[in-house]
Amino acid sequence: MPKHVLSCTVNDEPVEVLVRPYETLLDALREDLGLTGPKEGCGTGDCGACTVHLDGQPVASCLMLAAQARGRSVRTIEGLGRRDALHPLQDAFVRHGAAQCGFCVPGVLMAAAALLAENPRPTDEEIRYAIAGNLCRCTGYTKMVAAIAEAAGVGPVREGEP
Amino acid sequence: MTMKTTREVKGVGLSIPRPDGPEKVTGETRYVADLTPHGLLHAKLLRSPYAHARIVRIDARRARALGGVRVVLTAADVPALKRKAPTRAHAVLAIDRVVFVGQPVAAVAADEPAIAEEALDLIEVEYDVLPAAVDPLQSMQAGAPPVADAGTEADTSEALAHSGVAAAKADAGPARAANVTQQVRLQRGDVAQGFAASDLVIEHTYRVPMVHQGYLEPHAVLAQWDRAGLLTIWTSTQGSFNTRSEVADVLGLPENRVRVIPMECGGGFGGKIRALCEPVTALLARAAGRPVRYVMTRREELEAGMPAPQVIIRLKTAVKRDGTLMALEADTILESGALSSAVLTMSGVFLGSLYRWPSFDIRGFEVLTHKPSIAAYRAPTAPQTTFAIDSQMEQIARRLNLDPVEFRLRHLVREGDPMANGQPWQGHGGREVLRRIAEHPLWTSRAEWSAGGGTNGRGLRGTGLALGGWIPGLQPTGATVRLNPDGSLGVLTGQVDIAGTNIALAQIAASAYGVDIEQVRITTGDTDSAPVTGLSAGSKTIYTVGAAVLEAARDARRQTLEIAAAEMEASIHDLEIEDGRVTVRGVPGRSITLAQIGKKGNLYMSKVPPVLGASHLAFSLQAPAFAAELARIEVDAETGEVTLHDFVVVQDAGRAINPLGVEGQMQGGAVQSLGMALTEGLTFDEDGRLTNPSLLDYRMLTAADLPRIETIIVEVPSPAGPFGARGVGEPPIIPAPAAVANAIQDATGVRITELPLTPERIAMALLASRASSSPSAAAPGEVSTR
Repeated sequence: MPKHVLSCTVNDEPVEVLVRPYETLLDALREDLGLTGPKEGCGTGDCGACTVHLDGQPVASCLMLAAQARGRSVRTIEGLGRRDALHPLQDAFVRHGAAQCGFCVPGVLMAAAALLAENPRPTDEEIRYAIAGNLCRCTGYTKMVAAIAEAAGVGPVREGEP
Repeated sequence: MTMKTTREVKGVGLSIPRPDGPEKVTGETRYVADLTPHGLLHAKLLRSPYAHARIVRIDARRARALGGVRVVLTAADVPALKRKAPTRAHAVLAIDRVVFVGQPVAAVAADEPAIAEEALDLIEVEYDVLPAAVDPLQSMQAGAPPVADAGTEADTSEALAHSGVAAAKADAGPARAANVTQQVRLQRGDVAQGFAASDLVIEHTYRVPMVHQGYLEPHAVLAQWDRAGLLTIWTSTQGSFNTRSEVADVLGLPENRVRVIPMECGGGFGGKIRALCEPVTALLARAAGRPVRYVMTRREELEAGMPAPQVIIRLKTAVKRDGTLMALEADTILESGALSSAVLTMSGVFLGSLYRWPSFDIRGFEVLTHKPSIAAYRAPTAPQTTFAIDSQMEQIARRLNLDPVEFRLRHLVREGDPMANGQPWQGHGGREVLRRIAEHPLWTSRAEWSAGGGTNGRGLRGTGLALGGWIPGLQPTGATVRLNPDGSLGVLTGQVDIAGTNIALAQIAASAYGVDIEQVRITTGDTDSAPVTGLSAGSKTIYTVGAAVLEAARDARRQTLEIAAAEMEASIHDLEIEDGRVTVRGVPGRSITLAQIGKKGNLYMSKVPPVLGASHLAFSLQAPAFAAELARIEVDAETGEVTLHDFVVVQDAGRAINPLGVEGQMQGGAVQSLGMALTEGLTFDEDGRLTNPSLLDYRMLTAADLPRIETIIVEVPSPAGPFGARGVGEPPIIPAPAAVANAIQDATGVRITELPLTPERIAMALLASRASSSPSAAAPGEVSTR
C-alpha cells in the first residue's frame, strides 16, 4: 500500500514523515520517528501506555491513525522533559520511587501532565480518575498519586535520601 | 581482622531512589520492542482456534509467495522439535495435534508486521476437531479426552525457583486418570479421631480461577545469529541464565553459543521465568539470516500466555469449642492447562503448615486441561491457598466468638514446628505483623466503622484482616565488586532489575565495603559477561544476590586493606576505610586513598593486583516472610459492589535495605491480589475459548478503584540474609483475597468462597441469605458435631 506524507508538529518540531494509510499514530511515532517512549501494552486503548498529547489533550495513540495527526501538535514523553531538565512530574516520580518496571510510566506521566494543565491543584480523587485509563501492575498507584500530588503542590514533598 | 565498616556510610537502610529513574520517566529506557537493528524482520504466529484438534494438513505455499514474506515455518520445517514437549519453550510449533486455543501452529517473519499478519491469513490449516477437557474436575475422570502425549513427564523444576517447600516429594503420574499428572499426599496424626472428638466442623470448597500476571509489557524477543553461528537473544525475562539454558536445550545448541541479553523487563511476576517465544524467534532468525523481532499482542498474552492455575480446594476443619485445633482434611486441585507445571506441592504443603494442626490429611492433584499451560505468579498458589485457610480460620473464630487475631496467634506455627512435609519452620515475624496490624486504628475502631452506616442508606460496612506466610526461594548466584582507578566501586551481577533491586544491591555493597552509595555503580551483565545469577523471582534477589554482593564487597574490602597494609607498612588490623581513604587507627595523617590503590591496580609495571572481590554462593537456610493485610470496605447491599475505603499492609522485611523499594513491593503486591479478590479471572467457554481476551474484559484494578495502600514495615532480622533482610516480593500478594472476603463477611454476614468477589456474586449471595431460614441455623458449610 502506498505511503502518504504526514506533516505535523511533534515535541515542538515540525516533522514530515511517510506513513501507511492504516498506520497508527503510535507506530508512526515509534517506528518512523524513533520516539519509543510511548509504549504498546495492549493495542486496543485499554492500558494507556501509549498515551500522548494531541493538541494538549491526552489520547491513546494506538487507537488513532497517524493521518489524523495531520497539521496538529503531538507531544510524547520525550517532549515532556529531558534527563537534565526533568518536568516536575518526572522529578517527583523519580524521588517517590513511582517507577518500577517503568513500562506504564510514560503514559501515566502524559495523563498526569494533561490533568495538571487543566486542573493545577487536583484532589487525590481527581488524580486517581485522571490516571484511571492507565494500568500499572507494579506499584499499586500509591506512589504515583503521591508524586503527582507533590508536583501539583498539593501533597507532601518526598526528599530523596541521601 | 575487622570486617565492620568504621563509620556509618550512606548505604543500607536508606530510601534511595533508583539511579535509573530519570531514564524511566523520560522514556529513554529501552525494552525489547524498542530495538530496531538494521535488516529487522517482524514475526507473527498463527495460533490454533481450537482447544483440541488433530492437524490434518498445513499448506503455507500462498503465504510463502506473498511479497515481503521472508520465512514461514511449521513443525514440518523444524525436524528437531520433540513430540513430547516437557515445557512450553519446547512446544515451539504444534506437531500433528493442538491442545489449547492459541497454541502456535506456524510462524512468519516478514518485512513489516502488516505483511506478516496478512501471511497468516494465507496459511491453510485443516483441523479435525476433537473433544476437549475444559473443566478440571471432569478432566480428572477416567475417559476424559487426554491432553498430554502419552509418556510426557511431569515438570517439577520450576517450583524450585520459588519456594523450597516445593522440594517436597510429588508423585508424578500415572494416576487414576491420564490427565492427573502429579499427586501429593501429606498426612499427620489420626484425622478420623480428630473429627470424632471435635465440636465444630466446617467444610467449604474454595475456588480461584486462572488469573494472568498482568505485566504491562507483553513478551518480546529479538533474535540474531552471526556468521559463526552464535545466537544472541535480547529478551524480556526474569532470568537470563535460565532462558539461555532453555533456549539451548530446545535448539540443541551448546550454552556457550547462546548469549542472552536481558533487556529492561516490563514486569514479569513469574510469567517471564520460563522461555516462551525465544525459541521460535531464534528459529525464524536462523532461517531468514536476519534479525527477527517478535512481540506478543495483549490478546495472545491473555489467550496463550502462562497464567496462574485455577485452584479448587475442598477444606474441612474440626476444632473444639474452646478453639483447639483438631483435624484438617483437604483436597487441592490445580488446573495446570496443557502442560504439567510443578507448582502443586506448594499449595498442599501450605494448607497444613501455617497453623499447628495435630492431624491432617491433604491430597493434591495436578490436572491437565485443554487450556494454556500455567506458570508461576508471585508466590505461586499462596494467595489462592491462603484464601481457603484464612477464610476458614476466620469462620471458626466467628462461630466460636473468639477474637480473630488471638485465635490466629494462638495456633500460628513457631520456629522449629514441622511444616506439613516435615521440614522445620525457621524463625519468622508472623506474630509481629499480626500484632502490629491488630493495633492499627482501622482495626481497633472497626465496630465504629460498622455502626457508622453506609452511603445511600444501603451500604454495609466491614473490616477484615488476614495473615499470609511464605518461604522465599533459593538459587546459587555470584557477584563481583571491583575497585576502579578513581576509587569508585563497580558491582556486576546478572540480576535482572525489574522493581529497583539494583539500588538495594548497591547499598549493600556500599555498607559492606565502607563507601557512600554515590561511589557505587551496579551493572546487570548478560550471560557472556556476568557471573551466573539466578532468577528475579521467589523473593530471593536481596536474600541471595544481596548475600553474594555482600560477600564480594567484603572480599574487595579485604584485598584493599591488604594492599594498603603493604603500602603503608601497617598492620591490617589497624586499618579503617573512611571518606574514600584507608587510614591507620590512632595515626592521624597516615593514609592512602582508595583512588591511589585503584590506580596501582591498573598501572603499567605495577606490582599491585587490581582489587576484584568475587563471590559464588549456594544457599540452604531459608527465611520465612510474613505479611498481614487489613481491608476496610463498604458493600452496596443492593448491587453487591464493594468499595475499598482503606487498605493496610504490614510486612516483616527482616531488614529493609531500601524502605522505598520495600514499600513499592508491598503496595504493588497488595493491589495485584486485590484484583484477584475483586475483578480478575480468565473465563472460558465450553469449547475452551477465552471469553475475556482484552484488558477491557479482563479487568485489572485502576487507580480509581483503589485507596492509598498504607504500608508498615516490621523488621525481625533473619539469621542468614544480608544485614538480616528477608524476601519481600511475594508476601504482600498473599493475604488480600482472604482479607477482603473476611471483610465482606463482617459487613454482610455472608461468606463467599469463590473468587473474584464480583458484584453479581455478592448480590446473589445476599439474596440467597435473605431468603434462607432462621438465623439460629448453622451457616452453609458448617456442621456442629455435638
